[in-house]
Amino acid sequence: MVTPPPRIARASGRRPWVLGLLLALLGVGVFFSPILGTVAVSPETVLKILLHQASGGTLFSDPCAGGSVPASGCAGLIEIVWDARLSEIMLAVVVGAGLGISGGTLQGVFRNPLADPFLLGISSGGTLGAAVVVVFRIGVSEQNLVLPLFAFVGAIGTGVVILIAARSRFGSVETLLLTGVALSSFLSAVLALLLLYSPTGSLQVDFWLLGNLGSLDWTQDGIAFGVVLVAGTLLATYGRELNLLQLGPDVAQSLGVDSRKVRVRLLLLASVTTAAAVAFTGIIGFVGLVSPHVVRRIAGSDYRIVLPGAALVGGGFLLAARDLSLIAFPGTLLPIGIFTSFAGAPFFAYLLFRRRGASTMGVP
Amino acid sequence: MTGSAEPALLLRGVTVRFGERTALQDVDLEVPRGQFVALTGPNGSGKTTLLRAALGFLTPQAGSVQLFGNEVGRLSIAERARRVAWVPQEESPRENAPLLDYVLYGRYAHLGWLQGETARDREAAVRALRSVGLEERAGDGVLSVSGGEKQRAILARALAQEAPLVLLDEPTSHLDIAHQLDFLSRVRGLSRERGVTIVAALHDLNLAAQFSDRIVVLSRGRRVADGAPADVLSEELLARVWGVVADLRRDPRTGVPYLLPHQLVRPASSPPGTFLEKGPVHVVGGGGSGAPYLRALSEAGYRVTVGALHLLDSDLETAESLGALTAVEVPFAPIGDEVRERLRTLLEAATAIVVAPFPVGPSNLPNLEEVRRLLGRVPIFLIRRAPGTEWDFAGGKARAIEGELRDGGAREVVGVAEMLAALAATPVASTPQ
Repeated sequence: MVTPPPRIARASGRRPWVLGLLLALLGVGVFFSPILGTVAVSPETVLKILLHQASGGTLFSDPCAGGSVPASGCAGLIEIVWDARLSEIMLAVVVGAGLGISGGTLQGVFRNPLADPFLLGISSGGTLGAAVVVVFRIGVSEQNLVLPLFAFVGAIGTGVVILIAARSRFGSVETLLLTGVALSSFLSAVLALLLLYSPTGSLQVDFWLLGNLGSLDWTQDGIAFGVVLVAGTLLATYGRELNLLQLGPDVAQSLGVDSRKVRVRLLLLASVTTAAAVAFTGIIGFVGLVSPHVVRRIAGSDYRIVLPGAALVGGGFLLAARDLSLIAFPGTLLPIGIFTSFAGAPFFAYLLFRRRGASTMGVP
Repeated sequence: MTGSAEPALLLRGVTVRFGERTALQDVDLEVPRGQFVALTGPNGSGKTTLLRAALGFLTPQAGSVQLFGNEVGRLSIAERARRVAWVPQEESPRENAPLLDYVLYGRYAHLGWLQGETARDREAAVRALRSVGLEERAGDGVLSVSGGEKQRAILARALAQEAPLVLLDEPTSHLDIAHQLDFLSRVRGLSRERGVTIVAALHDLNLAAQFSDRIVVLSRGRRVADGAPADVLSEELLARVWGVVADLRRDPRTGVPYLLPHQLVRPASSPPGTFLEKGPVHVVGGGGSGAPYLRALSEAGYRVTVGALHLLDSDLETAESLGALTAVEVPFAPIGDEVRERLRTLLEAATAIVVAPFPVGPSNLPNLEEVRRLLGRVPIFLIRRAPGTEWDFAGGKARAIEGELRDGGAREVVGVAEMLAALAATPVASTPQ
């Protein structure tokens, strides 16, 4: 057997090196983003603090030297940069990555380019969970963790209903989509009813619905990071199966993929990932929808690339949204969901209209 | 994996039901290794269901399906994929994967968890592409190649799968004739050169006869014929299973039988076991006398044939609007031999004949003469003429023939409703000649 000529090897429409590029860009973004914030700190001081903290205090023994130091002293600045800004930034990256990889997965499972993590009613479930906490004033003292917990449970609960539908004999892709839409409407109705009886709660719930990165700490980061990392890594191992599922469940099965089992697993993992992401930040639109499409355009449509790529792009997207929001409106951090939708919607329209025949997922 | 004595595919008493509908009824089938079997039968006869049962996509209500000696339901999905590959009728990929990647999908069942494709997998894929003549197109996207190339790529994927049994479901139905021949030649080549066992559902009987070692005919979920093409294909089989009148010829060079189908003997959509499915009703008329009967028959679900009529006759217009087969002569001319031959074919294919109250002259008298030939073989219904109208312009010959018809058992009926009632009450003789 003759070894295939390299021409064939190269022609395979997959550009894995793009992943390295995306990772590098994201790293640079994470490093420089703490410069931006609601309080003015000089870039030089910010970078010194970062290196000081990252090196365990060995570099720049006095990172604040040479800059203006507030009343709280250098420790106060370190707290602002390292604890507030960096944890906020890491959360943006983790949540964006979770939404991105979930979006890519769901688009693959449903063979539908418009699928996104909120399609299945997972967001409505999360919102309802959050609203229950707000309206019934559950665990007011520990709200930083209780609210996300309820949101997570609400989102996962919705996902489980979808999964039960997926496992049934009638679990066609269409059934699942419609189940999601129906659930979404139903949960929204329950939410509306709930807020009717607690007008004071509605403002807080509205804020949650818009998505935000504020009032965070490393504990929240750690939980979100842990869940998204584990579920996301597992998702990323299913790239090959998703490639085959694009040929239809029967063809995939004839090639050796247990289509139904794989689909259930993917839905479960995507639900967990989405739930973990939205639990801490609320609803952040368009990241899950747009990120996989961006990857397809720049790195090809192989799901082995699309899934990790969508995580990197999603993380970068949310980080960029945070930074741009701070540049456009210095001094305040807008609810991030407003910003992603503002930026994401036109960008998505642009992607769709620029799409050519050779592009992906059969969108006309 | 198993002893070589085990057949590639073995079905024993397989019954598959979808709700009320029985798709396969007690089907036995044994496909020895290396054989090219063409699976054929009318739409809805159970071909696809049989293939899906063999692939383990569905579980029969009764019976057993074995792949190389093992019950398909007991094999893991990956193990099934290593034993049997599938070429579907049509596949609509959603991603524009390069053909090489597309063919590499066939290697999935040979790869471990998270294991990347090795050089051996790539070799298998390239070899498969080469054997379908697509090596040069390896880098082209699957959405950008032609239909014939896509189908060949799917075949290459099945080859890369290296399964000893390949099932194909109407693989050529979207291809033009040249690509059909090309595709099936390649499939036969595989079976000959590599000993791959092939079971292909094929609509085209001539292609089936030309390429396969064996033809299995399904009808309404049952296996009704099975054997070498030359033994299986017959005019009788076509009439019985497909309801089509055809001439059977033989290719003088190869001896392969081929069929020239030329007309339907019954509507393709009629429910089984009814009068309707047994054949069309032929109406003899003219000058507008046949129109109400044609319309009524057509509305009642009968297929109708008409003739012989002269061009410009208003009955002809009605017949054509109903899509009926007709025998037509030029205006005012006597019915010639050619048209008479055509009329005879139509009459012989009919399961009943209706004689409308048409005026008869020398030029259309042959209509009655031809009807008379079938007296006693096919039920004939004479529509009663209005009393007092003159209709025999053939010097009494027409009256004489109608008398013969009545005496010979033709039944006289009054009007449309009585005709339909009489038809529906008529027991049906065996398959028409």
